[in-house]
Amino acid sequence: MLNSFIFVVMPYAALALLIFVTPYRFCSDRLTWSAYSTQFLEREVLFWGINPWHYGILPVLAAHFLGVIAPAPIKAFLGNQNNLIVFESIGLALGLFALFGCLLLLLRRVNTPMLKRVTFAADWVLLYLLAAQALSGVYISTFMRWGSQWYLHTAVPYLWSLITLNPQIEYVTDFPLVFKLHAAGAFLIVALLPFTKLVHLLYVPFAFLKDPPILYRWRSKGAGRD
Amino acid sequence: MNVRAQLVMVFNLDKCIGCHTCSIACKNIWTDRKGAEYMWWNNVETKPGVGYPKKWENQEKFKGGWLRDGGKLKLRALGKVPTLFNMFFQPNMPKLEDYYEPFDFDYSNLYKAPPGSDQPVAEAFSQVSGERIEKITGGPNWDDDLSGSQVYAVEDSNLEDSTLVADYGRMFMHYLPRICNHCLNPACVASCPSRAIYKRGEDGVVLVDQEVCKGWRFCTSACPYKKVYFNWQSGKAEKCIFCFPRTETGQCNACAHSCVGRIRHVGVLLYDADRVEEALLKPDDQLVAAHRDVILDPHDPQVREAARMNGVSDQWMEAAEKSPVYALVKEFAVALPLHPEFRTMPMAYYIPSLSPVISSGGDLHELADHGTFPLLEKMRAPISFLASLLSGGNQEIIAEILRKQIALRLFKRAGNLGQPVEESILKNAGLDEAGANRLYRLFTIAPYRERNIIPTQQREDQDSYQRSGASGFGILKKTRGPK
Repeated sequence: MLNSFIFVVMPYAALALLIFVTPYRFCSDRLTWSAYSTQFLEREVLFWGINPWHYGILPVLAAHFLGVIAPAPIKAFLGNQNNLIVFESIGLALGLFALFGCLLLLLRRVNTPMLKRVTFAADWVLLYLLAAQALSGVYISTFMRWGSQWYLHTAVPYLWSLITLNPQIEYVTDFPLVFKLHAAGAFLIVALLPFTKLVHLLYVPFAFLKDPPILYRWRSKGAGRD
Repeated sequence: MNVRAQLVMVFNLDKCIGCHTCSIACKNIWTDRKGAEYMWWNNVETKPGVGYPKKWENQEKFKGGWLRDGGKLKLRALGKVPTLFNMFFQPNMPKLEDYYEPFDFDYSNLYKAPPGSDQPVAEAFSQVSGERIEKITGGPNWDDDLSGSQVYAVEDSNLEDSTLVADYGRMFMHYLPRICNHCLNPACVASCPSRAIYKRGEDGVVLVDQEVCKGWRFCTSACPYKKVYFNWQSGKAEKCIFCFPRTETGQCNACAHSCVGRIRHVGVLLYDADRVEEALLKPDDQLVAAHRDVILDPHDPQVREAARMNGVSDQWMEAAEKSPVYALVKEFAVALPLHPEFRTMPMAYYIPSLSPVISSGGDLHELADHGTFPLLEKMRAPISFLASLLSGGNQEIIAEILRKQIALRLFKRAGNLGQPVEESILKNAGLDEAGANRLYRLFTIAPYRERNIIPTQQREDQDSYQRSGASGFGILKKTRGPK
């Protein structure tokens, strides 16, 4: 029952929310589409929290995605014992880095009176959730070793079965509870994404790289509203 | 030639009395909102002083504006790829303390306080955190009228010799009202990863699209004038919008409209967009000349033809011809850009202050040969100071303008006293009688419709569907927080 809930209901519900709520919010309420930075109000602790968090979590997240997108070359790469050890160590270090940053961000929200009025329930939920997610990830990589290897043989086929609308949860049902919590946390984060400031994740400034520096909008040429 | 039109404001610093009426008019209309309490899209500073935010002119600290890099311009702060790696923590962003912590007073305590032996007081509280503020340590014009000059005015980077701040025999001050300059080469626009800031093609107003802005905050420091602000409530950047809902209908900006000293002029300039970058590559002391060079003569048939090709309407052409701004900036060349060396090509111009008309020679004023004014080198406000502020260090340009102002005063003084007017006074300053009378009129008795010539936006030729989307009833939605 719990397995079906975590591994079938949650991912599809999360995906549905992501697919339907995101465009709805984009079209109806883009005014709330912001990263809601608080650097303006407090920057000393933020520096040590936000940088470790992002620089820790982004490579780890990318590695998770890479495993799903291209399992075969990764399998070949990690077949080498040395590669595997280096890969796992880097992953663990980045995970700890992210966890450190996240905890600092959490403490910062607690201890800075300046942030009282810009901290809402959603901020607390996200911070606790992300800290728990980073913690469970670090736990798994420490105590359930060679995760980058078995992830490719268990979670990846399971995720592919989800994508092909033929969920085969037997790949993952035998894992210990902490793994299930990690999976549930991931689906919860995806589900919350369209409702919270996490939408900033959906934006990568590609246009910025190729655009000329000065942007013009001509009313007469119908280039956008203002 | 790529002719474009720009709405430009000119400030006559000689007339500014530092009353802050403009700031209040702007505040009441645009920034009387949560998250915007600390913002003053229009502010008035005392010079010498550190300004608002404190030390905004120090680009070593905030890394604003552009630098020349070989034959190109580049942002002083970060290139494009480094920008992406600094999105999480923006290293140069000014913090709240660089402006001030906005405060209000708990007036309810005056009548709600329980009976006691003390007079109840309205305590200050922070408009950001809501916490009580024991001691207010900053405000939007904290060093107004040289208050705390030993702490603030001495720090003014334009002062060659900061000891004069402590010397009553040499002390001077004037005011510097500032809005967004709506630059021709805006650094805020170039720094925005979301591409939310843009320059309107028709009138050159620089705006932040609130729906596109994601709050990455690079604009706040890239603007060397610190005129893009971060709204801590909505998580987005905001800035002066040149009162476009007013100017589009031909009305004057709120700040200019409310100016009791009538120091402001608003009008149209035509410029050659293709020559902006080339002009900005000139050395600092040639930048003012380069500015003037980019500005085109609206009477020139070639310019008129090129403008028409670019869609500048007849109404705008007419406004450009009559433009008081064109007269002040180009024709009489008495108005200068603020810190042209930041290389954003600001489109707000300042007529340098002649006052106080006292020399720095002590009790016995050393007067120039015409017997009324001190020698330029002996004026209280050092020419080097004005040059650092308004001409990229070129003192000759400042001297020229001061000579014009002095000649104008001598000319009108003689007229008022019924004395013969010496032709040479005007001629030596590069003026003639007709020009002097015109300048005098602009500086003094010109009424509203002469000081400000603002053409309305041409809406008739636009698709009505487009117009309905752009008519703008303001932002009715709430950004976040309790309803």
